[in-house]
Amino acid sequence: MDSFALRSDAKVADVKAADGKAAPAEPTGPLSAASVEAAPMTTARRWLRLNRGGLQAVAVGALALALFLLAWHLLTTYRVVFFVRFTNVPSPAAVYESLLRASHDTKFLMHVLLSCRRIALGFSIAAIIAVPLGLVMGRFRLVHEFLFPLTEVLRPIPAIAWVPMAIMLWPTNEQSIVFITFLGAFFPILVNTLHGMSLVDPVLVRAAQCLGARETSIFREVYFPASLPHIFTGLTIGMGVAWVSLIAAEMISGQFGIGYFTWEAYSLVQYPDIALGMICIGVLGLGSSALVRGLGRLVMPWKRA
Amino acid sequence: MSQTLASPPPSKGRVDVRHFALSYPTLDGAMAAVRDASIHVNPGEFVSIVGPSGCGKSTLLNAVAGFLKPTGGEVTVDGEQVDGPGADRGMVFQQYSLFPWKTVKGNVEFGLKMKHLSKSSRERAARTLLGLAGLSAFENQYPDSLSGGMKQRVGIVRALATGPKVLLLDEPFGALDAQTRIIMQQILTNMWQRLKISVLFVTHDIDEAIFLSDRVYCMTARPGTIKAEIAIPLARPRREAMMVSQEFLNLRRGLMSLIREESIKAMGGEISDLAMDGLSLDLHGQTLADLV
Repeated sequence: MDSFALRSDAKVADVKAADGKAAPAEPTGPLSAASVEAAPMTTARRWLRLNRGGLQAVAVGALALALFLLAWHLLTTYRVVFFVRFTNVPSPAAVYESLLRASHDTKFLMHVLLSCRRIALGFSIAAIIAVPLGLVMGRFRLVHEFLFPLTEVLRPIPAIAWVPMAIMLWPTNEQSIVFITFLGAFFPILVNTLHGMSLVDPVLVRAAQCLGARETSIFREVYFPASLPHIFTGLTIGMGVAWVSLIAAEMISGQFGIGYFTWEAYSLVQYPDIALGMICIGVLGLGSSALVRGLGRLVMPWKRA
Repeated sequence: MSQTLASPPPSKGRVDVRHFALSYPTLDGAMAAVRDASIHVNPGEFVSIVGPSGCGKSTLLNAVAGFLKPTGGEVTVDGEQVDGPGADRGMVFQQYSLFPWKTVKGNVEFGLKMKHLSKSSRERAARTLLGLAGLSAFENQYPDSLSGGMKQRVGIVRALATGPKVLLLDEPFGALDAQTRIIMQQILTNMWQRLKISVLFVTHDIDEAIFLSDRVYCMTARPGTIKAEIAIPLARPRREAMMVSQEFLNLRRGLMSLIREESIKAMGGEISDLAMDGLSLDLHGQTLADLV
């Protein structure tokens, strides 16, 4: 709560600074006074001042991570048993050791790369199908009425429940895992695209019509960009669910992949590798979500503060 | 000025609405919103429609824009029947209707893009018009960073960019504060005089209608129809000081009484003249409770 408030403060300061830059030709009273006051400040100090909220957020977040590591270290060092048992849980140091070992191990890297490839394939196919489908369903009532009941029936089925069916449907194991990843990402993307389409301001459509836009132009210039924020919400959620589905599929039917690696470590009683696999999944999920968000900021420059 | 900005010859931009009627189908049968309304706008004329809220003045405007099909009568622009919205009738909406994903310049260029003009001529036209409206410094900003008045100025510029014959405005300044509104009114008249375009302006603000218009139509309460047509003989260019002149005040008083009658009807006619005139009840020393 506190850091959030600080962050919005920093935003306000940002905007003020931008205003000052945009209108240097009008040296009004208070503005010139502010620049006189700011003159002796170095760029670095000004940067620090503007980003104080952000820096504080980073510091607070790092503190939480450090506390988590410390607690983990203490709980495993003293092998605490209090309802949950930390007797066999690997310590952070042991996990770090196995990370060092794994980083030179081509087999581990192959597990990681293969999982990434499955995500890239499954997620991309889901996005390529779900976004246009959502746009068309949102635009044409008949298509919506035709397909919506079907998607509503299929949507609640978790991707993991598709595992046996996927194995029957697809000739190779690899294909069925990509298919499950695809299913995980597909519905969040579709539902959010539909939601975005339903919220398009009709006044904007009218405005476009008055400016001579025809159906295809309205679709491209109004409906699509207006839905983009929701499409990206769907993509971010879809990416998360894709990872959930992928790991489950890899644990059940895989031969490779980071999910399989984690499960295998358990079978082989290599406990530090379990934690390593888990942390690896977390970092990969974080990274791919950041990638989607970064892409969103790139294609929606008007959303930047 | 580029070709698209060239002022249309004053022979263009005549709007005719003849015996216009619009009714909605409901379970209780057709519900009339507007009946038998006839108005016209001469080429290059500034015409306003005023009336109590819900009288159908926006309905009339939307029919000229082509968003609504009349259930009776006809709407023509330069003799051609209106069939759907089009770039020959620019529209400015009450709500800010700028595309948030386009910069100010991108918004102004939109209509020209729809006309398949080249990027360079689009940019030239947009810059010229933005300069005219004093918005050059903001051409690369997104609408979210603009004030309400600026947004609406961009909205007007965007509607004018395609070189429409008629400019339709639906209570465009309703959401602005009083000071900004006066400035916007002056900017609008300024642009109207330069471009010599026909304007149909819907408002519930009587002062605004008189200050801006050559003629004002006053509508009745629902189902709306034209109650009166008033010519505004005030000299041009209009100045803010005119708003306290005797001539202005007389026009205002006349329009005010017309509208007030209709507003009372629009509210269901439940307010007695007594209450409206603010006369005191003669209770002969008794309290109201005693009388009841």
